[in-house]
Amino acid sequence: MRRHTRRVFNLCYRFTGNATEAEDLSQEVFLRIYRTLSSYQSAFGAFPTWLTSVTRNLLVDHYRRTRRDRQTDSIDDSMPQLEEKHSSARAPDKLAEASELSIQLQRGLARLSPELRESVILRDLQGLEYSEIQAVLQVPEGTVKSRINRGRIELARILTEMGLKPTN
Amino acid sequence: MDWNCTLTEERLSDYLEGKLSPAEAAAFSAHMASCANCTETVAQVGSLVNRMHKFEMVEEPPQLIAKILDATLGPRTQKESWRQWFGWISVLWQPRFAMGLAAAVASVVIVSYAAGLTPAKLKKADLSPANVLRSANRQAHLTYARGAKFVNDLRVVYEIQSKLQPEPEPMPVSSPAPAPQDEHNSIPPNSTPQQKSQSSPPASRTQVRSGPMFAFLSTESLADNLAENSINISNRSAR
Repeated sequence: MRRHTRRVFNLCYRFTGNATEAEDLSQEVFLRIYRTLSSYQSAFGAFPTWLTSVTRNLLVDHYRRTRRDRQTDSIDDSMPQLEEKHSSARAPDKLAEASELSIQLQRGLARLSPELRESVILRDLQGLEYSEIQAVLQVPEGTVKSRINRGRIELARILTEMGLKPTN
Repeated sequence: MDWNCTLTEERLSDYLEGKLSPAEAAAFSAHMASCANCTETVAQVGSLVNRMHKFEMVEEPPQLIAKILDATLGPRTQKESWRQWFGWISVLWQPRFAMGLAAAVASVVIVSYAAGLTPAKLKKADLSPANVLRSANRQAHLTYARGAKFVNDLRVVYEIQSKLQPEPEPMPVSSPAPAPQDEHNSIPPNSTPQQKSQSSPPASRTQVRSGPMFAFLSTESLADNLAENSINISNRSAR
């Protein structure tokens, strides 16, 4: 339970960049899981994959909803604002301990397009295999691979622009 | 193999994950050696991916799980009170407690069957406290009566055995003094055979012993045996 919760929360947190929103979204994910548990078929895949898939769909819904609400088309404008609001106004104790790198990464992720962002998060922060990501995103493996690749390169570029030095 | 910057970007993840064929890897390295831009990009992305892989998961807020449980399983207060009252049950599911519990239940069932309590015979009226008390009382008396009857039967068997046996043993040194024999002579003739045998002058040791041994169990000649007991005791204390 705790493991799944952490996973879902992290996915939401990395995607939205906001702990409060991530908390609400995680709660919604489990509520949805709880309601649709009867319709869960093992044919769909392992439970964690299903859980990730539900979370991802909810995140996409949420992303579209908030974009419409804010009447902005650019994620580049809305996401950093969210992050700034979060980090200055309301930072949970545990999250305040997150390193400078984590915050920078969060800002960098927020500037990626949702497709690239989710791919990179699933692959490099959640540690999913390509086949699992393919199942979650419901896109061909070639697309998954190229999205992850492009996401990594763009994120590295953004972070370098933000002044992050590469370390080995 | 002809390699360029676009290809380097396209195959960057494959390179980092070691999925390039040897020929591709060689071409990739050869291009990197000649292109500073690509070398920098590869270093940046490689470092980023390494860092991200080392990233620990952010800890979820402590109230999140409680909130999820609230939303799915119902209010927390209910859950807590339920846990307060029945939380200890989980302890019982440890193997040793569970086995012990199973053994205890099995023995209760066996004992109740032995006592004549079968679920088929059980009626609703039997469960009222008065009836339970009454049947328990009845059962106790029955058990006592059965026990008394068994011991009485045993006594008769012993008596017959001792009657049938010849009396080879002479009086032991520690035989009762003549005084109690006078007492015995005053016993009426219609008393039990055991007492009759004891009243005859050369009483064997077994007879003397068997008298008091079973005397407390026979009800009809209780008074006589009590008298006999007190005599025996007084004899021993006199010695």
